[in-house]
Amino acid sequence: MTKQISIPGKRSRIRWLPQDNSLLKYICLAPAVIYDSIFFLLPLVFLVWIGFWSVENYRAVPGFSLANYSDIFSQFFVKSRYAYAIAQSLWVAITTTALGILLCYPFAMALMFLVPERLQRLLLVLAITPFWTSYILRLYAWQTILNNNGLLNTLLIQLKWVEQPVTIMFTQWGTRIGLLHYLAPIIILILYLVLRNTDRSLLGAARNLGATQWQTFWRVILPLSKPGIVYSAVFGLIISLGDVLSGIILGGGTGQSVLGKFPLFSTVILNEYAASTNLPRTSALATILIGIMMIILVSGLKLTESES
Amino acid sequence: MSTQRKQGIDLGLAIAGWGYLLLGFLFLMLPIVTLIAFSFEDARFPTFPWTGWTMRWYQELLSDGRLLQSLQRSLIVSPLAAAIATVIGFFAAYALNRFNFPGKNLLSTLFIVPILVPPLILGVAFLGLLSRLNLQGQVFSILLTHVVILMPTAIALISLRLAQMPKDIEEAAWNLGANEWQALYRVILPWAIPGIAGAWLLAFTFSFDEFIIAWFVSGFQPTLPVSIYTFLGANLSPSLNAIGTIVFGISVVLLTGVELLLLPLLLDGRSSSREM
Repeated sequence: MTKQISIPGKRSRIRWLPQDNSLLKYICLAPAVIYDSIFFLLPLVFLVWIGFWSVENYRAVPGFSLANYSDIFSQFFVKSRYAYAIAQSLWVAITTTALGILLCYPFAMALMFLVPERLQRLLLVLAITPFWTSYILRLYAWQTILNNNGLLNTLLIQLKWVEQPVTIMFTQWGTRIGLLHYLAPIIILILYLVLRNTDRSLLGAARNLGATQWQTFWRVILPLSKPGIVYSAVFGLIISLGDVLSGIILGGGTGQSVLGKFPLFSTVILNEYAASTNLPRTSALATILIGIMMIILVSGLKLTESES
Repeated sequence: MSTQRKQGIDLGLAIAGWGYLLLGFLFLMLPIVTLIAFSFEDARFPTFPWTGWTMRWYQELLSDGRLLQSLQRSLIVSPLAAAIATVIGFFAAYALNRFNFPGKNLLSTLFIVPILVPPLILGVAFLGLLSRLNLQGQVFSILLTHVVILMPTAIALISLRLAQMPKDIEEAAWNLGANEWQALYRVILPWAIPGIAGAWLLAFTFSFDEFIIAWFVSGFQPTLPVSIYTFLGANLSPSLNAIGTIVFGISVVLLTGVELLLLPLLLDGRSSSREM
């Protein structure tokens, strides 16, 4: 290799036709493969394994016991009530994601079809600005806004729209607002890119063939943007299920929803570890979360398969 | 084209659309504006209406030092983690883009999957492994683990850029006598620079903002988000608004980079890859 570099190109023109099994391929792939194996796959294997360990004298002891799982499942509906936390997590994640797509879709549409071309880029940058600012600080700012004597309530009372402050903080609506603020820039960007990539001539064709605005939307634009909706849904669900900050900072840990005053499952995992530093048990809980995500992912795949 | 496509939209719908955009931007910008405004507000407990103007939260921030210290830590960890992830990601993206081999799909999946696993799960998993290796509770452990979650987007973005490069450029370099390494260094790398820079920006932001993994593995050396979380739980203080304003300053710099590097990659990519 060094020999070839030292040969001046002028003197001898070697016709290099690199083959597919060249050394370069392995050298380029090796760092990523090794890194992901050691610091991604191995920890995940470890996680599942540690779930079967036990704790003695505040130290995790390797072994194989089902104690963590039997204890967790015995508390599914009593005491820690994990089942309720899981249900709360799913409910909040699904409603937030659905809301996110419903609210961001018209936004992306308006951005694409109303805003003049040269302004679009600027407005897109503005729309994804929140994503580049600190999430936890945005949640803190939302506290200032949503508090019982915060910006929103002060405004509503001064406008005489309400008499008593509206309680949003420390309910799952607070959680949803925080999550929406995190998800919106991502969903807007995804949907905007998908809308932008749709073949403009199809819209013209639909109009020429006499379709109304609504027909063009329902029959052409919406079906074409389905991949964007699916991506947004997957991202929204994964992020909402895994997020701890909004549920704690705006949801107050055990926010009220139609299901009742239950914490999110992610909050439970964080709080249990903070209180006990019992890693085996936390690992078992995290493994259960992996299981839930797998079920969602597989059923999502099945759903899209059966439709197409 | 723009006149052609607006012909079909009637006035009522257009007004509604603009109104909706306005509302949307209000929602998106409200917390950021609030944060900045209240960093100068006199009252300790942020309520409305505004009571007076002050700089003392910035002074408090400077004299306390804890938040600034973790900001410093973040400003070491995040650029470094982003750089490592982009370098590894560049090579992986190049290999995926250029070579065909059995198991390529499997490998691409492996490279993307880390971003599909919630950081909460990864945080617990990393802690499990690192505590066995006695590597937990250090700045170094955050660096190690952040690289994992930053690589997928780096690989995806750099691949996007590489896919936009006409294949014959590299072949031309070979025919002119460059070996694979020279072609990689002199031809591919310069082409990939915008992708690499955009990927670094995104990676930096992810790392800078990442909370839960850092919370699990950082121990007594918290990064900024972890520090802020502790602050929120203990003593609510408007210095959070002050640090928020400073962080927003960093974001504005990042956003300029995004507008110059990342958006062209996402928006203009199609036209330049037409010939493929």
